[in-house]
Amino acid sequence: MGIPFPSLEFFKALQQRTKDEAAAFEKLGYCDTTFGIRVGSELYRVVFEIYECVEVGEGGDPSELDFVLSAPLDLWREMLEAIQANGGADAAHTINTLTHVGDVMKVEYEDPEGHDRLYRFMATIQAFLDEASGLDLEFA
Amino acid sequence: MAYIAPKDFSQDPELLATVMRVMGGDLDLSWMKDHPHPVRAQASQPTRGLTLDDINQDPAYGPESIPEIVRHNFSMAPRGAVLPDGLPSLGYRVNRKSDVWADHGPSLFEESKSRRWAPARTIPWKELDSADYSREEDLAIRQIATSLISASLVAADVPSRWVWLMNQEFHEIKYLLCAHMFDAARLAEAFRKRALYGHGSLGRDSRELGDFLKMVIDSETFPLASAATNLTLFSILQGLGRHLEFVSRNAADTRLATYFVQDATRSIAYGVDHIRSLLTKRPNEVVALNEHLDLIENGLVGLLGSRELIEPLIVLSGGLDAVASFYRRTVEEYFERCASAGLGDRTDHSPLPDFLKLIEGQR
Repeated sequence: MGIPFPSLEFFKALQQRTKDEAAAFEKLGYCDTTFGIRVGSELYRVVFEIYECVEVGEGGDPSELDFVLSAPLDLWREMLEAIQANGGADAAHTINTLTHVGDVMKVEYEDPEGHDRLYRFMATIQAFLDEASGLDLEFA
Repeated sequence: MAYIAPKDFSQDPELLATVMRVMGGDLDLSWMKDHPHPVRAQASQPTRGLTLDDINQDPAYGPESIPEIVRHNFSMAPRGAVLPDGLPSLGYRVNRKSDVWADHGPSLFEESKSRRWAPARTIPWKELDSADYSREEDLAIRQIATSLISASLVAADVPSRWVWLMNQEFHEIKYLLCAHMFDAARLAEAFRKRALYGHGSLGRDSRELGDFLKMVIDSETFPLASAATNLTLFSILQGLGRHLEFVSRNAADTRLATYFVQDATRSIAYGVDHIRSLLTKRPNEVVALNEHLDLIENGLVGLLGSRELIEPLIVLSGGLDAVASFYRRTVEEYFERCASAGLGDRTDHSPLPDFLKLIEGQR
């Protein structure tokens, strides 16, 4: 039985990977941000502090988040399948590529400084999502 | 020309007599009694380690002890130290806290060291051997890398013009500007390696890039230089980094662009916080800042329209559409940062919106 996506269980599994792979995340440096991941209409909250993900949760007020990465389930699925096929996102499926031109994935934010945390900590956030490569996933 | 101290120390009878007394066991130890304000400074988060913010908690040593205009210390003495009479002035010219201060400065300095990388090993250069670029795309990337070397070198030059003029009381900002210089030097190194890797060559510099960078570096005050560099220049560099990552087809270019973007964004973060802090304290400065950015953005139109930039971007992006979208998003996010910093809505002053319409009209 795989881990369902989207689900809180999925994000808890990624959170645990930041602890299991502590040396890799420490090498990327400090990452202090609270952001959201919206899959369709479902919002998940991810809190990074210093080197690791310290909290994940469901729902919440988007205005209290630095930014929200928002896409339909099909796009998240395509991204996660690419991560699993390549051991990490290929060039066509990085967070930057998906959010840069064309709004394939939307970045929602209210505060430009919060939005810029996506770019300050992009390497860590990408590494966080790339940890899905080691998970057995079941898509909704 | 060297500084000549007012006293000839090698012939000073008082100093020599003191040395002889100390050598004879007559230790005064008055410096040991002079500690004005001992504090307890420890890491608030052991995993993060002892940070500048941790040691700044006490008002005697923290930035709140800095007056808006520093008149008490023009020497090299660190903030909070006992200042004996006769310390020389080091000639600092930037002595106003609001001209430099940003509350996020200390943590951004810590972040810059924590998120370090080394182009020689962090970038998997060998991945470029099998990169799937056409000859034209390969030349286009090397052309953009050439422009980024120039821009990075100027991004290193700008803080170097100011940091030695800043009062030591603002040491956290001086540290941060030194980190910015290092970050920019590393980007210049990385893009020189990218331009030359394999059977590469540098491309052509451009007059428009040169004029834009000269406008930035010739900013007459530090706040003007900070706005031009950290808001305008680094917003464009961040956008270019994101676009290079977008068009990348290999792990080397993807990683290089990702680190480029993260370093550029730290400078933006300082710029927004600095200008907001300045305008909160001295709102009238908004006029001079906006007038300066009007000129800087005029130079930016030249850069964005220059053949040496827009043509390689079109080659890499498969046409003008993606470039026009990237330009618009980058400029709009830049305006958002300006507004967040307290500069108001710049779209009415700026030549950039008309330029974007011109480009979009060609799509």
